[in-house]
Amino acid sequence: MQLSQELIQKVIAEVLAEVMNGAPAPSSAPEAEVSGIVCTEKGKAARGTDPREVVVAVTPAFGTTFTKTIVDVPHAEVLRQIFAGIEEEGLRVRVIRVYHTADVAFMAHQAAKLSGSGIGIGVLSRGTSIIHQKDLNPLSNLELFPQSPLLDPLTFRAIGKNAAKYAKGEQPTPVPTKNDPMARPRYQGLAALLHNKEARFIDRNKAPMEISVTFEG
Amino acid sequence: MPLIAGIDIGNATTEVALARVEGRDVSFLSSALAPTSGIKGTLQNVAGLRRALGLALERAGFARDDFRKVDRIRLNKAAPVIGDVAMETVTETIITESTMIGHNPSTPGGIGVGVGVTTTFERLKEVRSGDAVVPVIPASVDYEHAAAGVADAMNRGVNVAAIICQADDGVLIANRLPRPVPIVDEVSSVDRVPLGMRCCVEVAPPGRVVELLANPYDIATIFDLSPEETRQIVPVARALVGNRSAVVIRTPLGEVKERRIPAGELYILGPSGKRIVNVEEGAEAIMDMVKACQPVENIFGQPGTNVGGMMERVRKTMSNLTDIALSDIYIRDLLAVDTLVPQKVVGGVAGEFSLESGVALAVMVKTEELPMQKLAKAVEADLGVTVEIGGVEADMAIRGALTTPGTKCPVAILDLGAGSSDASFMRQDGTVELIHLAGAGNMVNTIIMSELGIDDFDLAESIKRYPLCKVESVFHIRQEDGTVRFFDKPLDPEVFGRVALIHENDMLQPIRLNVTLEQVRNIRRKAKQEVFVTNAVRALEQVAPAHNVRLIDYVVLVGGSAVDFEVPTMITERLSRWGVVAGKGNIRGKEGPRNAVATGLVLSATGA
Repeated sequence: MQLSQELIQKVIAEVLAEVMNGAPAPSSAPEAEVSGIVCTEKGKAARGTDPREVVVAVTPAFGTTFTKTIVDVPHAEVLRQIFAGIEEEGLRVRVIRVYHTADVAFMAHQAAKLSGSGIGIGVLSRGTSIIHQKDLNPLSNLELFPQSPLLDPLTFRAIGKNAAKYAKGEQPTPVPTKNDPMARPRYQGLAALLHNKEARFIDRNKAPMEISVTFEG
Repeated sequence: MPLIAGIDIGNATTEVALARVEGRDVSFLSSALAPTSGIKGTLQNVAGLRRALGLALERAGFARDDFRKVDRIRLNKAAPVIGDVAMETVTETIITESTMIGHNPSTPGGIGVGVGVTTTFERLKEVRSGDAVVPVIPASVDYEHAAAGVADAMNRGVNVAAIICQADDGVLIANRLPRPVPIVDEVSSVDRVPLGMRCCVEVAPPGRVVELLANPYDIATIFDLSPEETRQIVPVARALVGNRSAVVIRTPLGEVKERRIPAGELYILGPSGKRIVNVEEGAEAIMDMVKACQPVENIFGQPGTNVGGMMERVRKTMSNLTDIALSDIYIRDLLAVDTLVPQKVVGGVAGEFSLESGVALAVMVKTEELPMQKLAKAVEADLGVTVEIGGVEADMAIRGALTTPGTKCPVAILDLGAGSSDASFMRQDGTVELIHLAGAGNMVNTIIMSELGIDDFDLAESIKRYPLCKVESVFHIRQEDGTVRFFDKPLDPEVFGRVALIHENDMLQPIRLNVTLEQVRNIRRKAKQEVFVTNAVRALEQVAPAHNVRLIDYVVLVGGSAVDFEVPTMITERLSRWGVVAGKGNIRGKEGPRNAVATGLVLSATGA
């Protein structure tokens, strides 16, 4: 992604505008569907019993306010690849939207606790992801992908695949992750702004909702 | 009372026993062990010796570097023995013109058998209805797109018999087709699959293996082969045995062959002259020849071959370390063990691996005992303590081992170390028979490394030393004997779902390999059996009265490898067939199988 001056200014302007106006952040997901996915809320997410499922948790802004990750991978592609990775291993996927936190570890842990297999994946709008297991401490994890600028579609496929393998009790090789020492200085400011915006949609009193995802186009 | 330190420098560890000796009274103060620095019997050992002695002094209540408190140091008179271990792969599978793909993608798609002509995905649109084809789909085609294209062709009446694809998309494509076909995926070099050729794809149901393509007559039926051609296809069928999915493509010139790599010949010099054995013939033939040449005087490898290189390397290492002329270094023993080595199939298109056979060799070099004098002088200069060289190592080992409660002369000692396995037998009258044999703990590591396809020596060492478990949840593990253990605290997520090693204090070390617990266990146990049990029998046969193991009453196991959790029981079990009492020693009633030689060195200082 070209880190253009305009983009940063645009985001700053947006954030500032919201702060100035004191407009309360919308507590439910905005309904704009521009990312190529349609998410329909199906009610409160229940605890699953199917040992063949992996639960994916996304934030309220995922696929709505934001439509792509920090490096412009469309959210539709992120989910499609994660789903494909899980399906290839013969498992099913269930998606929930977590409102009470935008901490990716707690989101994924929530997903894992609701998952019939005990395995959950958390994904933030900017791409940061994590694979979690229900019995672990929330701030522990099975695999963490902290550098969102380095996550490409193939990594998301591998994340889905590994989560499914953990659910099957297999021993996957951890997804090879890239490490770019320049990612932090280059993207940290933007990531902070994106997270600030993401966290605006938090509603501490709202329970996780199950959503159905359909892909467009 | 003078303070005497018995110090035993072994291949892997340096052991110290510290005692006050007055006449015939010996009171042991402490013992210690430290890793040996450098190769046994060389000047590099001084650092390890200082460390071990320092530890022993500390445990006896002295300052760690107060070496002058010691009145006399007694060193073992070990002939420097070095073992070298090498792997020789003797077979290799080569595929020419890619006639088969036999690999195990973890998730192939569909189930069944399909026969058709290979074609590219782009050309699928042009195929006439009714033709049987097998599209070959590169990773650049997305699975949705691929499935749509194939479904289209199917709806037009094209008989899509099976699919070969490059990405891990087998199940995804299968789930999107109007009717199921077998799909083999993760074929990495998909561009090398010959096009326009008749091809058969088989995917077995989960938990089963291919039956049709592993049977030469079924392959002959599918491809209309003549009896001669069927004979040629046998290696293909053999290579596909045990796979869950397979592809065979008939090309005019292609073939699969198993090549035997010329590993070289071994020349064994014994009392009956020179005998020749080819490494290719396997461990059994080599060991028979070694046995026929007892006592072995020297062993050479055929110049210009791998074996020749290995033998020369050992001689050169030894010569450099000891300043002894190359021609005065003799290889006195050799242990060969058959192994399987996972090797990439030459010419394969999916990164196929095939288990090739190989031979692991351990050799032992013995030189004159000169370097020990040098080492003794170096230690004397370094520590400022009188150093004397005690009796022969095996002699000392017996003296030490006899401090085990419940033993008496005549007794045989098996000293299982890292580099060599030594045996000695003491008769009633005090005379001793002894032998040093190649192959011990380090060879077990080499076999584990080659069979698991790893190059991490420390991991192999841990696999050898610790029992296995499978981490079944965050709170419980299943151990290798099938019992379950629960933990109160969540285990490290790093070990979740994995096969792990149980270290001391329940620390779990994950094995990051795609292997089952049973595989690792079998490899570990087989390696120990073939090295330690074989060597125990071989060694005892040579020192026993009239070479008859039955005439030995007591065998005491000592040395680092006798600390192992299963080696002593394996040997005890094997020797119990001959009615021999065998077990791990317990030096001075408290040291376990360690410290035998060091203890013996101190005891021999009493002049008893």
